Amino acid sequence: MKRVLSGLLFIVLAATLIVSCGGTGGASKGVEFIMGNGAEPQTLDPSKIQGVPEHHIYMALFEGLVGYDPKTSLATPGLAESWTVNPAGDQITFKLRKANWSDGTKITAQTVVDSWIRTLDPATASEYAYMVTMVIKGSNEFNTGKAGKESVAIRAVDDSTFQCDLLGPMPYAVDMMAHYAFAVLPMHVINAKGDDWIKKENFVSNGPFKLLEWKPQESLIVVKNDKYWNSKNVALTKITFLPIDDNLTAYNKYKAGEMDWDSGVPLDLIDEVKLRPDYQVSPQVATYYYIFNMTRKPFTDVRVRKALAMALDMQELVDKVTKGGQLATSSMVPTMAGYTPAKGVTFNVEEARKLLAEAGFPGGKGFPKVPVIYNTSSGHKKIAEWVQENWKKNLGIEVTLANQEWTTFLDTRSNAHDFFIARAGWVGDYLDPNTFLDMFIIGSGNNDGLYANTEYDALVKKAATMKPGAERMAVLQQAEALLITKDQAVIPFYHYVSQDMIDLTKWQGWYPNPLGAHEWKTIAPKK
Amino acid sequence: MPILEKKTDKATNEFNQYVKPVSLWADAWKRLRRNQMAVIGMWIVAFYLVVTCGAGALPFYSYTDQETLHMNLPPSLKSAGIVALGQLENRRRDLKDAIEKSGRSDLKTDLERVNAEVVQLKGEIDSNPIHKRVYIFGTDYLGRDMLSRTINGGQISIMIGLIGTLTAACIGIILGALGGYIGGWLDNMIGRFVDLMYSLPYMLIVIIIMSMLPTGSNSIFVLFIAIAMISWLTISRVVRGQVISLKNSEFVEAAKSMGAGSGRIIFRHLLPNSLGIIIIYATLQFPSFIMSESFLSFLGLGVSAPRASWGTLVSEGVQGMQLYPWRLLVPGIAMTIFLFAINFLGDGLRDALDPQSKNRS
Amino acid sequence: MSRFIVRRVLSIIPTLLVIVTLSFFLIRLAPGGPFSREKKLPPEIMANIMHKYHMDEPMLSQYFRYVGDVLQFDLGPSFRYKDHSVNDLIGTAFPVSIMLGTMALALAVLLGTSVGIVSALKQNKWQDYAAMSVAVLGISIPLFVIGPILMLVFALKLKWLPTSGWISSRAGWMTVILPAITLMMPYFAYIARMSRGSIIEVLRSDYVRTARAKGLKESVVIRKHVLKGAMLPVVSYLGPAFSGIITGSVVVEQIFVVPGIGRIFVQSALNRDYTVIMGEVIVYSIILIVANFVVDILYGLLDPRISYN
Repeated sequence: MKRVLSGLLFIVLAATLIVSCGGTGGASKGVEFIMGNGAEPQTLDPSKIQGVPEHHIYMALFEGLVGYDPKTSLATPGLAESWTVNPAGDQITFKLRKANWSDGTKITAQTVVDSWIRTLDPATASEYAYMVTMVIKGSNEFNTGKAGKESVAIRAVDDSTFQCDLLGPMPYAVDMMAHYAFAVLPMHVINAKGDDWIKKENFVSNGPFKLLEWKPQESLIVVKNDKYWNSKNVALTKITFLPIDDNLTAYNKYKAGEMDWDSGVPLDLIDEVKLRPDYQVSPQVATYYYIFNMTRKPFTDVRVRKALAMALDMQELVDKVTKGGQLATSSMVPTMAGYTPAKGVTFNVEEARKLLAEAGFPGGKGFPKVPVIYNTSSGHKKIAEWVQENWKKNLGIEVTLANQEWTTFLDTRSNAHDFFIARAGWVGDYLDPNTFLDMFIIGSGNNDGLYANTEYDALVKKAATMKPGAERMAVLQQAEALLITKDQAVIPFYHYVSQDMIDLTKWQGWYPNPLGAHEWKTIAPKK
Repeated sequence: MPILEKKTDKATNEFNQYVKPVSLWADAWKRLRRNQMAVIGMWIVAFYLVVTCGAGALPFYSYTDQETLHMNLPPSLKSAGIVALGQLENRRRDLKDAIEKSGRSDLKTDLERVNAEVVQLKGEIDSNPIHKRVYIFGTDYLGRDMLSRTINGGQISIMIGLIGTLTAACIGIILGALGGYIGGWLDNMIGRFVDLMYSLPYMLIVIIIMSMLPTGSNSIFVLFIAIAMISWLTISRVVRGQVISLKNSEFVEAAKSMGAGSGRIIFRHLLPNSLGIIIIYATLQFPSFIMSESFLSFLGLGVSAPRASWGTLVSEGVQGMQLYPWRLLVPGIAMTIFLFAINFLGDGLRDALDPQSKNRS
Repeated sequence: MSRFIVRRVLSIIPTLLVIVTLSFFLIRLAPGGPFSREKKLPPEIMANIMHKYHMDEPMLSQYFRYVGDVLQFDLGPSFRYKDHSVNDLIGTAFPVSIMLGTMALALAVLLGTSVGIVSALKQNKWQDYAAMSVAVLGISIPLFVIGPILMLVFALKLKWLPTSGWISSRAGWMTVILPAITLMMPYFAYIARMSRGSIIEVLRSDYVRTARAKGLKESVVIRKHVLKGAMLPVVSYLGPAFSGIITGSVVVEQIFVVPGIGRIFVQSALNRDYTVIMGEVIVYSIILIVANFVVDILYGLLDPRISYN
């Protein structure tokens, strides 16, 4: 017994000894910033990136032709000093500034051409290449292997002038080019090292920061890039990205002062979080909605779809269930500059019951007990439970709830279309209604509810060829009115908000913005 | 149960005692009753079974009824209207503080809403019978009674624990004993099969099983299969180990020399002597079955919302424990008490069934 | 004995082969694939990706390609973490899990057996009940509850320890303490309960009675006879426990942001990252088989009654 105890004592002593030896970290000078970045980045290669955590890191390491305005998310000069659009609106000419890679190599217009070609190259297998193919003439042909790289209508006019032809007069094209799919890549390293260019010893970047170290699942650290053209205006000297996917852990870490920016808050603690002065909430270009399978009875009947939508009080949902400041809505598209979304039905139990009775289900009688599917998450579950109870209470309809793990859910909803009602969410890729509307055209890979309305398709396609302006927005609004007001193909719930924890009395230059794109170069400690 | 009567082997190592012709089970029952903790455990288990199975007939609130004005109420013996009013007043104070002290003018709409709710609640507090409810264990995030949710959750969790334990014990004992006693290629085969089951990615197997069912169908039966599939692995290894160490002992030799067959030796001599360790293992595994249900519900297997199980209630409760501790504590404590009872009962059974202590004390 | 060892070592190869083959085809039955996305990829882009990862080839040729690579100790590229090979990912995460697991298990054995001894010697006294209650608590409270509570108390309220992270972070070795203690809990409880049971049994056995009758001091009896006999079930538990503690630390890794192998495994299964799943299955089964093998050998050494012929 004594021996066991003394053994215990020994272990405790040894542990304290180890702890006291290893405790001190290197306290370096400069401004360090630590960010809770959600998940482990899948890759640093801009051609292969997809996802928000990767985007945060991309913003530190790379700079495209244009960047995001920290307040509006619209394009601001980046590698390009300025740009001009031709009168027809389908050709953009960029004037590049003098800039270098972190190893000193010069960046020319040809680098930009080669970079985009690499992203589009079928051999690269880039996922977001489709962003490029949506705007650049001839890029789809190359990406699908139907034509060579000559077909891509981009060119280096001279060392500092880059030009690209668009598929049409696309007003959102320049704003889209801040996206990582349009990244400028260190082609001299890629040509020399191939896929290994991303390894730490080969890695070069052209953004305000460069890679210091990357420990998978533990941390990724970047330090200031002295070769960056604007480096004298970059205030941070070191940024640590922590891949913390547990919201509660991240929030605790932030509260304990071990982190400066936490991108995500625990939903269950929202009542506490909301009261904090350092809680930043701002509208996002994103919508939470339920989709109907338009090919399955009884949802083929628009009266049933409308009744279900009318029976839900979205204001109650955002006030009492989600509580994070989300914006209740009846429209698919969030409000954007120059665009007024088409309104859908509003909460009206009487009217809902009437419609349901007309459709042949008075008081919910005879309504089949169908499942509502959602992907596993406590937030989606709360909403689904609320929906279920309200349909029961207001319409007398019983539905069941079924959760599925994410990949299974995607397969059920988007490939097999094997559902009646499914949860969905859509985050806009750029600031234009088109990003919410073109997925509902017939044959679109994201038309999960199999909505089919040729009139709608014609409107969306027409808008794609129109010049920017009020007229085009009017056409898009007509399309949305068909989708929501007339057909009720989906039930919009609310527009998401981005929820961040960052103390703005300590940091300046961080602004909430619609796409959640935060430029690192503007963030600085507050004096 | 006279088959499990023990005579021959006992005579070899307990020759100094007179062996009363009492069956193992009657004897065990006598000793179990003498163990106070085990008796308490047995009563608690019985109480849980009665309450959870009879929940429908008992006067509890519905576990699905949502009441927007009763969200996240703490446990209290006061009527819900009064508790809710208190909560709203607190919230109002907090919001005012935040608006004044941290300049959060964006919270003004929240404050207005809370004010409106206070007015609404005050207006109907006496007229609406719903505000007369008493939530002794508080409510959850949608204003549902925690007590009835916990009871309802107990139904599924207890059932899973029992079925998991029983299948684990049956399959595990048979395969473990066979492997351990017969040895050789059979042992090797069973051993490798266990290794295989351990190694295959369980999560994906469950996902595959799920994908073969029609969307939205969610049968408890599949859940039981999913749990039974792996529950027996550990126990079979333990039984095997125990059997191997016992099979060369004197009483087995004696039984063999008297012409007993393999089946008889395994079931009459080896297993009764391993029962102690088997029971300990079985009771120890009980909680892990309850927890694996909450893991499987992540994959969509298990009870679907709005029903809950102890596992899912607890895992949801953890997320909000800083603000609403009762959402963790109520199901957590209910579950812990039950598991304690099961463990003490198991301990008592172990002691009572221990063949070594037969007729002693 | 040596014949037994040779036979077991030889049986590892076919077992592994069966596991690899079964897993390879099984995981591809799961709905979705490594490139399932919320915003569905256009078919042409999907074709590019499939081609790049040889997923457009017939299943059998993919299988033989994979087995061929594995035989050269190359587990392939990760489909999700595109900058890392599976060898890299597992290579960096594995030592972390081994370290965390070994520390937790060592603590569990130490505390578990001491508690077990105390309660066995004080059977049915208050010490016994207290010790066993702690043990039952350790088993009943799931890790996803213990972890956040410990974090809340020791990191947020008392501020003694960092909330999360791993050794290379600023807090250094202090980061290890909370995850190790959390991970230890159920194993500690198991071992305490089991050692109590087996010690009680051994205390009643003839050879202990003989030893006592010979007039040996109680402490000697316990050290020489009781402990050795009582360790058998504990040892047989250590095999599954060791593999379990390394492979099953997902929850703890998740909560405390430990860069271990468990997180990768769950992530890879959810993401259908086929190569990583396969890599982990191979590593797990090797750990498991070896652990069980070692246990079987230890059996023989600890218990002279067992023979393997």
